[in-house]
Amino acid sequence: MYGYSGKILDIDLTAGRIKERPVERDWAREYLSGLGFNARLLYEEIPAGADPLGPENILVFNVGVLVGTTVPTASRTEASALSPATGLFGTANSGNFWGSELKFAGFDGVVIRGKAAAPVYVWICDGQATILPADHLWGRDAWETVRRIRRELGDGAIQVAAIGQAGENLVRFASVENGPFDAWARTGLGAVMGSKNLKAVAVRGRGAVRVADRKEFLQAVEDTRKAIFSSPFYGSFSRFGTMLASLPYQEFGALPGRNYRLGAIENWVETRSRKVLPRYSNRGVACVACPIACAHWVDIKEGPYAGLRLKDMEVTPVIGFGAGCDINNLPAVAMVTETCQRLGLDMVSAAAVVAFAMELYEKGLIGEKDLGFPLNWGDERATISLLDIIAHRRGLGDVLAEGVRKAAEHFPGASKYAVEVKGLECFLLDPRARWSTWTLGYITNVRGGDHLRTRNPVENLRYNENPVPYLTEKFGFPEEMYERLDMPDELKKDIFDPVTRDVNIPKMSRWAEDLIAVYNALGMCIRPPVLHTVGPTLFARLYTSLTGIALTPEEVIRAGERIWNLQKLFNLRHGEKHADSDYPSRFYEEPVTAGPAAGRRLEREKVREVLREYYLARGWDPDTGVPGAAKLAELNLQSYTHQRS
Amino acid sequence: MARELAVNPGRCTGCCTCALTCAITHQGEFKLTGAFISIARDEFEGTFTITFSSLCRGCKKCALACPSGALRVVDVEEMAEQEG
Repeated sequence: MYGYSGKILDIDLTAGRIKERPVERDWAREYLSGLGFNARLLYEEIPAGADPLGPENILVFNVGVLVGTTVPTASRTEASALSPATGLFGTANSGNFWGSELKFAGFDGVVIRGKAAAPVYVWICDGQATILPADHLWGRDAWETVRRIRRELGDGAIQVAAIGQAGENLVRFASVENGPFDAWARTGLGAVMGSKNLKAVAVRGRGAVRVADRKEFLQAVEDTRKAIFSSPFYGSFSRFGTMLASLPYQEFGALPGRNYRLGAIENWVETRSRKVLPRYSNRGVACVACPIACAHWVDIKEGPYAGLRLKDMEVTPVIGFGAGCDINNLPAVAMVTETCQRLGLDMVSAAAVVAFAMELYEKGLIGEKDLGFPLNWGDERATISLLDIIAHRRGLGDVLAEGVRKAAEHFPGASKYAVEVKGLECFLLDPRARWSTWTLGYITNVRGGDHLRTRNPVENLRYNENPVPYLTEKFGFPEEMYERLDMPDELKKDIFDPVTRDVNIPKMSRWAEDLIAVYNALGMCIRPPVLHTVGPTLFARLYTSLTGIALTPEEVIRAGERIWNLQKLFNLRHGEKHADSDYPSRFYEEPVTAGPAAGRRLEREKVREVLREYYLARGWDPDTGVPGAAKLAELNLQSYTHQRS
Repeated sequence: MARELAVNPGRCTGCCTCALTCAITHQGEFKLTGAFISIARDEFEGTFTITFSSLCRGCKKCALACPSGALRVVDVEEMAEQEG
């Protein structure tokens, strides 16, 4: 095949058997690759009632078909399994070089099933896969595991997906680390690896990706580059990365300060925003084929953390630990970041769990005698100690390792402090302070509480206005941005107000979810300069010329919609209820207490109304949020049932 | 005017677009191993080493594709001025 390697590895750890399955052309047309293949595999193979930590669960990695080429930002691989955090479709996306290496090794994906009798790791190299013992790696952190595997296999270019101690100990928010600094972080996939006694999947390939129509493909790549470079966000994003968002969140009062109570934090700009970033980082590091290089290399030269060197000073740990736990300086946040990377913890959930525990400590629901140390706001040493007992499930760490929803059941009255959706901690932007497509995404997201599957491609962080409360957000860009947006004209007219260009949030959510499903299926990155400028038209050109399989822009976005619906069907089979698509009670019952959004809270009735609008935009039953027979037939999903378990 | 390839390794972000471009240009397929330019990535140090093989034909396509400024095509006079 062109573009595809054409084979998916299927590894049964119980039997110690390795097979290969071909990539079917029909699958390629309808599900593309990456997330699309994962959705299909999970739906077909994981029965209702399966235990996420049992051998019946499968863990699947599929690389986007554009990965391994010069398509800008095409670096990404989707990992999916039944989630130990939510019991629903667990999935996470990561870049770096693991995916390109797997394709050069001759495979588009890896399915892992069963459970090994003792710790193992999988070694995939140039068309061959081997299961090797990992007793000597078990108990080691992810950084050490990456180093040791490279050393023992004798090649520093080997890419390693590994778990740390958190995954081994089945922490429900354990990540799969992608090399030392990147991760498939969300939904607890590291615990699935741990449950299979699988420490790592190491890959190395010296093969190639072939192109069907080289001339047209290279022209499409060039046009994609030009589109990305033309985005008004390219320069600033390349310089500051996701830290760009650190200032507007403070200005809107939308930080999750001290477990979503303080929307703004004193001295934030001087201590934790992008304004102080250049003190610690002056260069970017890229994933394969990425011209943006948004990740920052951090070099701490003075103070208690002098000598600390790592990739990533991202807004996620800065807001999670810096605002959520009120750790008041970037070097300390970097130290906590390294701790999460080594132990193999999802930083969003880890920060939420620590903030939850700090609030319990403040309220007297847990004490120093329970923990063995005090746990005051802003104490990074205590944070590191807490993360350590969580990853090893020691003492109270064993309870907190279950995530905030389950941990709250252990402390009477604590559920109101648990900020999660569908069991997945949400920890970045406060919807009470800024209502947008982004924040509606917390409750429509099939994987639970975050925005990363529902981002408005023309989100404007200069504004915090809802011209029609809950229903619209301000566009605010020059008309040229509207004109250039790669979206069918009739849909543009439906989503944007004809005069003001205000954005209809529920309709944009549906479009954004389908579009991002395509990104996650093809392997491109959703950083703003890309998401703004690359849509179905360029995707169709890239895909068709690379693979030789002709797809129209309409078919590309329809594939995204199909993938989204299939994930929803998976969730319904595994027990998702209508009421699960809702915010935590704190957002309705408690107002923000500091900053410009002080006093604001969400209105339950308004949220239900906008969710109903979203279901209508999706063509789902507006009362139940279930895709009907007509919609499934339209997507060629008629053979898939949608019974609730 | 003569044009040359200028290399500034300190600006390299490690994306390897240069090597992928080299491979598709001269070998007709995308790969990282076997291109005439290679980037050795020391991930734990965040450093990148750029190496040209003796088979490099000097086409400079890698520099035209480089997004970070680590590889650039410059006029010889300009380069001489910069080097003082």
